[in-house]
Amino acid sequence: MNRKSVFVVSAFALFAVAAAAAPLAKPQALVVMKQRHEKMEAFGDATKAIYTNLQTSSPDLNVIRKASAAINQQAPKLVSWFPAGTGPNVGKTRAKAEIWQKPEDFVVKAHDFTVAANELDAAAKRGDVGQIKTSFKALGGTCKACHDPYRAPEKD
Amino acid sequence: MKQRVWDLPVRLFHWTLVVLVALAWWSAEEHKDDLHLYLGYGVLSLLLFRILWGFFGSSTARFSAFVRGPAAVIRYVRDRFHWPTAGHAPLGALSVIALIALLLVIVGTGLIALDEDGFFGGPLASLVSISTSDTARELHEDLFKVLLALIALHVAAILLYRLALGRNLLGPMITGKAELAPGVGPMRPGKWWVALLCVVIAIAITRWIIGGAPPFGT
Repeated sequence: MNRKSVFVVSAFALFAVAAAAAPLAKPQALVVMKQRHEKMEAFGDATKAIYTNLQTSSPDLNVIRKASAAINQQAPKLVSWFPAGTGPNVGKTRAKAEIWQKPEDFVVKAHDFTVAANELDAAAKRGDVGQIKTSFKALGGTCKACHDPYRAPEKD
Repeated sequence: MKQRVWDLPVRLFHWTLVVLVALAWWSAEEHKDDLHLYLGYGVLSLLLFRILWGFFGSSTARFSAFVRGPAAVIRYVRDRFHWPTAGHAPLGALSVIALIALLLVIVGTGLIALDEDGFFGGPLASLVSISTSDTARELHEDLFKVLLALIALHVAAILLYRLALGRNLLGPMITGKAELAPGVGPMRPGKWWVALLCVVIAIAITRWIIGGAPPFGT
């Protein structure tokens, strides 16, 4: 088995075990959901910092490096932020119930995200702006791949 | 006899704006990001053109002919919507001013807004803080709902004039001509080359803004 499949299988196993385990009690679940929201927003703050920097004629590489490293560091943990019992039937969240109905797809997509985050981090460390732009765009694709099916629209 | 009341630039502006706003709405819902930006630039150019034409255009296009105080609006309503001149009646003028002002704010917030995921934003987003861009995005979305309400009001008013007062406002916005009471002077047209110049200047200013030229440069 190559590294990717090892990762996917083990991540899936962890996710499946977590999903099969007794769902979190409500107070605990609400804490997890709130933290998840904050961590997702932190991803957003990092991507926005990178985006606005890439918009300028002389991007600040230090800002991009810091943000890319932060995303890369948190990305592998993402799957663990979605334990069973933290869906829309428990509390306020845009995470759709489909996440726990199609765990294998969710895990594969989360893995694509970690790979893209890793590539962006590597490009940022090298300081090659062209490469950063390409990797950043690819990262955006992996965010969208998951958000489209698994995230509900913003409430009105 | 039918006489001219709206010139071609005003009518083209109006209907192009209708199409661009509808497409901009659709492109936002469908997440067609690049298309949405270009449509926004188009709307900005149109608005800038209309503002210029409001100073240098035909008699009925000029702001000086239809921007009035509340007293004129009240008088118009008291007179049972009697308006013998060619051009915007006081209530319709309010609609024009409100729609143009609101669209300017919507375009302005769009220029500095950032999408929530951070992979899409207005061309001037880098000039403001991320929290400002987030606020701008929320305003951009919320004000669009206000715009839809104003458009609904605009259309409802036109229907009401037709049904309750028997006046056709839609036709003149298409043909440019309306039946005027005897002795009422028609529109005095502007010059075609001035219109062309206004278009060129509007596009130039738009390019200057989205290109991040000084003082928008970084």
